[in-house]
Amino acid sequence: MPLPLYYFLSITAVNILLSWALYLPYRVAHLHFITVANMAISGYSAAWLVMSLHVPFGWALLAGFALGALVGWIVALFIGDAPTFAVVIVGFTFIFIVRTVIENLPAVGATMGIFGLPNIGGNPETHRWVIMAILAGMLLLTGFFLHRFDHSRLGRAASAVFVDKDLAASLGVNIKGLGMLVQTVSCTIAGGTGVLYGFIYKSFHLDFFTFALVGIAMTIIFVGGYATPWGTVVLAPILYGVPLLFPPAIQEWRIVIYGGVLVIVLVLKPEGFITRRFVATMESFLSGSRKKRNILTKEEL
Amino acid sequence: MQELIAQVINGLSLGSIYVLLVTGFNLLLLVAMIIHFSYPQVVVFSMYITWLVLRVTGNNLPLGVIAGVASSVLINLLSAPLFQKVMAKREQVDINSTMVLSMGIGMIITDVLSHSFNGGLAIAFPDNLAGDTAIVRVGLISIVSGQIWSLAVGIVSVALFFLLLYRTRPGRAFRAIAEDPNGARLVGIPILRTGLYSYALTGVLGGIIAVLLSMLLGAAYPGLGEQVAHKVLAVSIIAGLGNLAGGLVVGLFLGILEAIVQGYVSGSWSNAIAFVIMLVVILVKPKGLFGTKL
Repeated sequence: MPLPLYYFLSITAVNILLSWALYLPYRVAHLHFITVANMAISGYSAAWLVMSLHVPFGWALLAGFALGALVGWIVALFIGDAPTFAVVIVGFTFIFIVRTVIENLPAVGATMGIFGLPNIGGNPETHRWVIMAILAGMLLLTGFFLHRFDHSRLGRAASAVFVDKDLAASLGVNIKGLGMLVQTVSCTIAGGTGVLYGFIYKSFHLDFFTFALVGIAMTIIFVGGYATPWGTVVLAPILYGVPLLFPPAIQEWRIVIYGGVLVIVLVLKPEGFITRRFVATMESFLSGSRKKRNILTKEEL
Repeated sequence: MQELIAQVINGLSLGSIYVLLVTGFNLLLLVAMIIHFSYPQVVVFSMYITWLVLRVTGNNLPLGVIAGVASSVLINLLSAPLFQKVMAKREQVDINSTMVLSMGIGMIITDVLSHSFNGGLAIAFPDNLAGDTAIVRVGLISIVSGQIWSLAVGIVSVALFFLLLYRTRPGRAFRAIAEDPNGARLVGIPILRTGLYSYALTGVLGGIIAVLLSMLLGAAYPGLGEQVAHKVLAVSIIAGLGNLAGGLVVGLFLGILEAIVQGYVSGSWSNAIAFVIMLVVILVKPKGLFGTKL
């Protein structure tokens, strides 16, 4: 597989998984940025296991998932039903603390990072195919999970919480339980994604886990459409791919471009480009059946 | 003991700046009904404009200060229609969407600063603003003019701001909207115009904060806004969103805490410790210590 194609596909997959990890808690109006901190925690831990303890990659990846789930669950115990702004600041604070801890820990390379991670499968070509296969598997599994979640009672409960928390509570929705569930699953996805993110480049560096990553994921979700997982799938490759076609001088400004696009879309089309109504229309068009009734977001009502 | 006193004085200077930031943030939250997460990034942008004007004019202090304040007011007023449009689209006040919009604005500001000014490197303010010569030195205690000015102007600004809020007609209008927007409209308070005043007023405040921060820190870097933004939102949440008095107490406390930790813990750990304490308080009391005014 050519290297540019490998990087394009793998980083797009990582962006989709990260955005999905943010999409899921946002179903209950939680902007759970702790996912980026979890990517760093799990990624660095897996790299340390592989490099220092010579643990096989598969086990390190599983450990990354488990660590992500554990951190997510512990934090969710406290903020499972917290207001959005409290969840946001917990996420940002976590990112800052994790970055500070890592840059002061010589065991994980401190500010230098971890370099020279081994090829999975022995050679670079096999390494790329293995990474791509795992990412494809994760995309399919996560996508299937999100689809089932959105079409389940839990998904409807999440929509109710998003529209009106008090109403959802009076209808018997366990708001804290639901919040904890989506936050923990989100952190699990982020944990595994963090491990793969570093193994794509065969290195880990603090620059991988900056606030810019939060900005990229936020742009993907809100421009693509926060009410369905499909917006992320459509926008992630466009957002990552299109700037690559521009000259390097313009590519440098991609965060400004992302920010500009985010602001414009929020002002002109706050529900994003791929809405639930659009997905329902496409589903009925493809299946040839009558349009299904769907729970719509506030903008779509 | 001397070192502790020095750090407390330093902490009061820093704390008074946090108080001003949190007050501006809370005013926008209560009157304009937005979470302007990137308000500190606007402040850092003003610091850069002040630095630029000082450089161009050969350290002309009044011009630098005026430029800093003007740029902050301008950004706030330019962003006001965007926030109003987002809220109008949603047909009701939606604090979360305004927060995301503000984060988008913050992304742009931070990246523009890291590309367009001084090649993305940190900027240093000239001595006539930062004032790094010690004017009081008793044993270990060394107080520079920048610290004294920022502390004095900070205290005066906080006092004037609270005086304006609690002792003047516009202040009463601000508080009336904060308490009950519909009731305020019924008694004839122009909601939109008062909202715009709040953008302008917080812009002026932002400019003053920018100058104070420049005097206290003596330097700035593009990521400073993000770091301060997290602290300001954390202070607001710990105090209780929209709670002005709570913001005063927690802002001062954070400033003193941070300064003391910096005095005894080396390197980047000092900021992390302040963040850990804030995180623990938010995790235990996500709705704040003093109660939210929303």
